[in-house]
Amino acid sequence: MALVIETPAGGLPAGNPSAPGDPGGPVTSERAAGATLAEGALAEAAQAGGDGPDVPGGRSRTMTIVGHVALALLGIVCVFPIYWMYTTSLRRPQDVYKLTVLPWPLSTSSYSQALDQLDLARLMLNTTIVAILTAAGQLLTSLLAAYAFAVWGFPGKRLLYLGFVGTWLVPFQVTMLPNYVLLHQLGLLNSLAGVIVPNVVSALGVLLLRQHLDSFPKELLEAARIDGRGSWTTLWTVVVPNLRAALTALGILLLVNAWNEYFWPAMVLQRGPSVLQLGINGYLNSAEGDNWGPLTAAAGLACLPIFALYLALQRHVINGFVRSGLR
Amino acid sequence: MSRITVENVTRRYGGTTAVDAVSLDVADGDFLVLLGPSGCGKSTLLRTIAGLVAPSEGRVLVDDRDVTDVPARGRDLAMVFQSYALYPHLTVARNIGFPLRARRLRRAEVRRRVGEVADALELSALLDRRPRELSGGQRQRVALGRALVRDPGAFLMDEPLSNLDAQLRTATRTEITELHRRLRRTFVYVTHDQVEAMTMATSVAVLNRGRLEQIGPPTEVYDRPASAFVAGFLGSPPMNLLAAEVIHRDGQLHAVAAGVNVPLGIAVPRRSPDDAAGEPARSVLLGIRPEHLRVTSSAAAMTAATDATAAEAAASASGSDGPVTALRGVVRTVENLGSEEIAYCVVGDGEVSVRARRPAGFAVGDAVALAVDPGQTHLFDRESGRRLVWRPDPHPAVPSARVPVAT
Ligand SMILES: Nc1ncnc2c1ncn2[C@@H]1O[C@H](COP(=O)(O)OP(=O)(O)OP(=O)(O)O)[C@@H](O)[C@H]1O
Ligand SMILES: [Mg+2]
Repeated sequence: MALVIETPAGGLPAGNPSAPGDPGGPVTSERAAGATLAEGALAEAAQAGGDGPDVPGGRSRTMTIVGHVALALLGIVCVFPIYWMYTTSLRRPQDVYKLTVLPWPLSTSSYSQALDQLDLARLMLNTTIVAILTAAGQLLTSLLAAYAFAVWGFPGKRLLYLGFVGTWLVPFQVTMLPNYVLLHQLGLLNSLAGVIVPNVVSALGVLLLRQHLDSFPKELLEAARIDGRGSWTTLWTVVVPNLRAALTALGILLLVNAWNEYFWPAMVLQRGPSVLQLGINGYLNSAEGDNWGPLTAAAGLACLPIFALYLALQRHVINGFVRSGLR
Repeated sequence: MSRITVENVTRRYGGTTAVDAVSLDVADGDFLVLLGPSGCGKSTLLRTIAGLVAPSEGRVLVDDRDVTDVPARGRDLAMVFQSYALYPHLTVARNIGFPLRARRLRRAEVRRRVGEVADALELSALLDRRPRELSGGQRQRVALGRALVRDPGAFLMDEPLSNLDAQLRTATRTEITELHRRLRRTFVYVTHDQVEAMTMATSVAVLNRGRLEQIGPPTEVYDRPASAFVAGFLGSPPMNLLAAEVIHRDGQLHAVAAGVNVPLGIAVPRRSPDDAAGEPARSVLLGIRPEHLRVTSSAAAMTAATDATAAEAAASASGSDGPVTALRGVVRTVENLGSEEIAYCVVGDGEVSVRARRPAGFAVGDAVALAVDPGQTHLFDRESGRRLVWRPDPHPAVPSARVPVAT
C-alpha cells in the first residue's frame, strides 16, 4: 500500500483539480481559454501569408500601395506651388518665365533686388509684432471664453455660445466697414494697433478650445476645487498645463492666419507702417509690369519663419488637431 | 474633527430627483457608508456634502456651522474620487503637495508633510513619477495621500476601491479601516459593495432612488432591515421575500401562501367567537434570510414531490409533519461556494434560496421541506415595503389594531 497521486479520470485536466470556488480554479480555466485563443490566432496567421493582411483587420498590400500613391500625388499637388515659388526666385532675371523644373544657372539677384527695394527687416518686424500679439490675444480670449462655456453653468449660456459661433459665420466684408469707421474714430488708422485690436477675439479658437475643454475630465476640476483652488488658479495650475498640446496647435494656427492676413492690414495701413504681405503686393502691378523675381524672393523669405515654427512644433500641432476631433 | 449633518437635502436634475429629502447625522469619528444600487444618488449626496453640488433644497452643516453656501475649499473636507483624479502633469510628490501649495504653505513645510504621508503610504520611492507611470493600486494610494496630507476634519470617498482587483481591494479595505481607527476622523464612504459596507462602516445608510431607506449600524441594518428594499439589497443571496397572507391559526399568527406556512411566534389569544371565523387576512411580504432556513426532511422522506402537491401539503399545514416545516419546495439549481452551498428552490410560485454548509446534499429536482425559527422571520408591508412589527393591542375592543402595523 502506498499513497499515490490521484490521476483525473477524464484524461485532460479540464475539470479543475482544485476545489471549485477556490480562487485558483477560475484563473486556470481562463488561462487555458487564453492559450487556445492565441494558438487559434497563430494558426490563422500562418494560413494567411501571401497577399493577405499582415495585420489582423488591416488592408491588403495592394490597397496599401494604392493608398500611398494617391497620398503621394496629393502631396505633390500641395507642395508644387511652394517649390515653384522658390525655383522662380532662384532663376536669373531673364529666365524668370522659363519652365525648366530645375532653376539653372542659379542666381540670387532676385533676392538682392527684393532686399534693396523693400525694408524687409522692418516689414518682418511689423508682421511679427502683429502676428504674435493678434495670436496671443486670440489665444487668451479663446481660453477664457471656452473655459467659462465648458466649466460654468449660467443663464443664457447656450444663446451666448451660439452668438459667439455666429460671429464666425458673419463674412469679413460685413464687419469691415463698421470696424474701419470705429478705428477712424479711435484714431487707430495707420497704426499696427489698428490691425491687432479688432482681431483679438477668434470664434474659431473658442469653438476649438471648447471641444477640448468639454472632454477635459471634470473630476480633475472638482479635485482642484476640493484641494483649495479657485476658478482662476485652477485654470492656470490644472487646465492650461494639461491643455498644452491643444493650445500650441491653436496658437500656431492663429499665428499663421495673422501672419498671412492681407485685406485688413491693407485697409488699415494705407499710410504709415506696413507689413510683409503689403510689401510683397507692391511688386504686382508695379510700373514695370509684374516683377516675379523679387516677388517670389520676398514671398519665399516671408514664409521661412512659419516653416521654422511649424517644423519646431510639428508634433504638438498634429496631436492638438487629432485629439480635438477637428481635422 | 467634524460632525456632518445633512438636513432634508434634495437635489434635482431637470425631471429626475437624484437625492430626495435625505436627512442624516454623521457623528464625529463615525465611518458612514452610503450604500445603494447604481444611480440611487450616493455620489450626488456625497458631492453635496463636499460642496461640489449645490442642493436644490435643504442644508448641510459641518460642526453645526451651515456650509450650504460655503465653497468646497472652505469646508475642511478632503475627497477621494473613484477615478482618483490625479493631476496628470504633476509628479507624485507635487500631486500630494497640491492642496498644501494651494493653501500657500511654506515650501519646506510642504516637503516635510509630503514626505511624512509618502512614508506612511509607502510611496517614497515613487515621488518623482507621474500618475501615468503608476499601477492602479499606487494611483489609489497617491489619491489617498493627497487627501491625508491636509489633515482634514472629514474624508469623503466615492467608491475608492472599485478600480482595484479583488485581492488589492481586500487589502486596501483593511488599510482604510486601520486609517480610520488611527486618525479618528469622520469618514463618509460611498459604495455599492455590501461587503465593504458591512466590514468598514460604523453606520450604514441605505439609499434607494434618492431616498434614505435606513440608517444604522451594519448589524442592525442586516438583522432588522427597515424595508423590503434593504432586506432584498443586503446579503448574498439577499433575503427571500415572499408574498404571503398573515392569518390566525391555532391561536398563532401564520404567514401563508402556496407552499408556505410559517408560524410567526406571535400568540393571539382568542377573544370572541368572531375570531374563529377569521380576521381579515393581511397581505404582507414575508422575509427570511437564506442562512436561516433549515432542511427538515430529506428527499427520501418526502412523500409527493411536485409543486402542486407541495402546495396542498402546506395548505393542510399543521398536520402530520408538525409545525416545524414552514416551506416546501423543489430544488431548481444548486450553487457551490466552496464552504457553503446555495440551493434555489421553487416554492409555490416564488423562489427561495437556502444557504447551508457543505455538503448539504442538495440535488436538483429534490423536494425539500424547510423550517425557520419564528424569531428570524421578517414582515414587510406589501404596498410601502416598510417593516411591520407586532404591537399588542391595548384596546381589545378595536379589532383592526390587532394586525401588524407599519413602523
Ligand atoms: N450632472 C447630472 N446631470 C443630470 N443628471 C444627473 C447628474 N448627476 C447625476 N444625475 C442623475 O442622478 C441620479 C443619481 O446619480 P448618482 O451619480 O448620484 O448615482 P450613484 O448612486 O452614485 O450611482 P453609481 O453607483 O452608478 O455611481 C442618476 O439618475 C443620474 O442620472
Ligand atoms: Mg457614483
